[in-house]
Amino acid sequence: MKKLLSLALIGALFSAPGLAQEKLSMTKADRAMYEEMKENNPADIFVEEGAEYLDELGGEETLAKFLGVKEEELPKYIAGFPRYIDKITMVVAIDQMLQAFMYDRGKKPFKLKSTKMDAFSAYVKSLANGEKINIDVNANEHMKKAYKLGKEMFELRRGKRGLSCYSCHSPDVVGLRLRMQILPDLGDPKVKAAATWPAYRMTKGKMFTLQKRFQQCMKNALLAKIPLGSPQMVALEVYITDMAKGQEIEIPGLKR
Amino acid sequence: MKIISLTLSTLLLSSFAIAKDLKSAVESPDATKILQKDRLPPPKKYSMPKNCITNDKLAIERGKYMFHNLNGKKAKTPPPPGLPKYIVIKGKKVPKQYGNCVACHNIEGAVGPGNIGPDLHNYKKYFIDSGVRDYHFVYQKIADARVDNPKTHMTINLTTGLFTPKEICEITSYVVSQKEKK
Ligand code: HEC
Ligand code: HEC
Repeated sequence: MKKLLSLALIGALFSAPGLAQEKLSMTKADRAMYEEMKENNPADIFVEEGAEYLDELGGEETLAKFLGVKEEELPKYIAGFPRYIDKITMVVAIDQMLQAFMYDRGKKPFKLKSTKMDAFSAYVKSLANGEKINIDVNANEHMKKAYKLGKEMFELRRGKRGLSCYSCHSPDVVGLRLRMQILPDLGDPKVKAAATWPAYRMTKGKMFTLQKRFQQCMKNALLAKIPLGSPQMVALEVYITDMAKGQEIEIPGLKR
Repeated sequence: MKIISLTLSTLLLSSFAIAKDLKSAVESPDATKILQKDRLPPPKKYSMPKNCITNDKLAIERGKYMFHNLNGKKAKTPPPPGLPKYIVIKGKKVPKQYGNCVACHNIEGAVGPGNIGPDLHNYKKYFIDSGVRDYHFVYQKIADARVDNPKTHMTINLTTGLFTPKEICEITSYVVSQKEKK
């Protein structure tokens, strides 16, 4: 009940016109709330929901078996996504791997868009909490190709304003201000973007996956939205995950 | 012997079938077409339309409005006459996009400006009257900044078709205009 109440409160606060519309960076009060929410992340309930989905499918043991790893190696293995999986014959992010897993267990896979999948993939990624990201972009030709495509996607100027991800996240602009928001360095150990998504966005009152976060940047900057799970989107996740290599996974993250 | 090779091949076949099946359960739509449609044309040099730079108050007001606002949905004050809040694209009513230049540039009267681009305060005095820049430079910069700087982080405003030449003229006229002291 307390959680629900505080959730409603956050919703009310952040939909206050001044805050949401002007997208001002955090005020003192926001920052205090941020500190408090770090102790008690509203997304924890979604992650818990994901635990139930895994249990229904046989738990960690079954997942490890599906992936061909020992149960105790599962966290380390999860810290290496997106990766090429032989029996799926493609480079997949965790959510896509879970679609294959569900299918293998005779269940209808959740859609990548669904909040159920967000919860499920957030929980599975959280199994790797405390592990360091160990993606290997040179593991095989498939990963090399995905990394290369991801870099291209990152640098591709497009859309109605001719912007690319690089326009706002390149080393020479990060730390500067776009309106009142600091442009984040996606590889910065303080940001460690890939290690902290799925994350709860305080300004939206919801949890989002990394690919959904990409889509928000695309929408804001008027780039056409690339669909979740597309090879281009997975490649972008590969590229950005590599930026945060060696950083500790901490799911769910908490963002402005 | 035959039996062995038979079981072997069924084994192989069935593992192949699994691989194919697993893949088919995974959503992986291809985005190539979306990207093609979203492509940015190569850098383009422009010449200014006739009577582009103006002292017309309303034109400058419109330029100012486009400079300081993101789009017709987010803008809090009504736009000046001649500038729509919403437009129709393919039969659909959508917010008119503006320049949102203030996201990157400080200028007279800016609220919450960014600092990715240079500060444009006193642009007339320091850049135009001093002879460092001319109107055409500013027009080209706003229309397609890549011509002057291939690696620019600035938005491309005319080559993308987001604005008309007239609108670029209005924004340019605002940037180079004499502004109220603030
Ligand atoms: C017009 C500028 C702009 C463009 C273009 C842009 N971003 Fe962003 N991005 C931002 C800003 C500003 C933030 C931080 C917003 C905030 O503080 O809430 C951000 C945040 C992010 C984050 C979250 C970082 C964190 O806190 O963990 C990711 C991931 C990201 N961007 C990826 C991308 C990708 C991928 C693209 C290209 C498809 C892209 N961005 C394009 C401005 C941009
Ligand atoms: C995403 C960031 C960004 C946005 C949005 C942006 N600019 Fe810029 N602008 C820059 C940067 C960076 C430069 C520095 C030079 C360069 O790269 O072209 C610049 C340069 C300029 C200059 C040249 C200054 C000089 O004389 O050297 C003008 C004029 C200008 N911008 C006007 C605008 C206007 C008008 C808009 C909106 C329609 C706009 N800018 C939007 C980033 C931006």
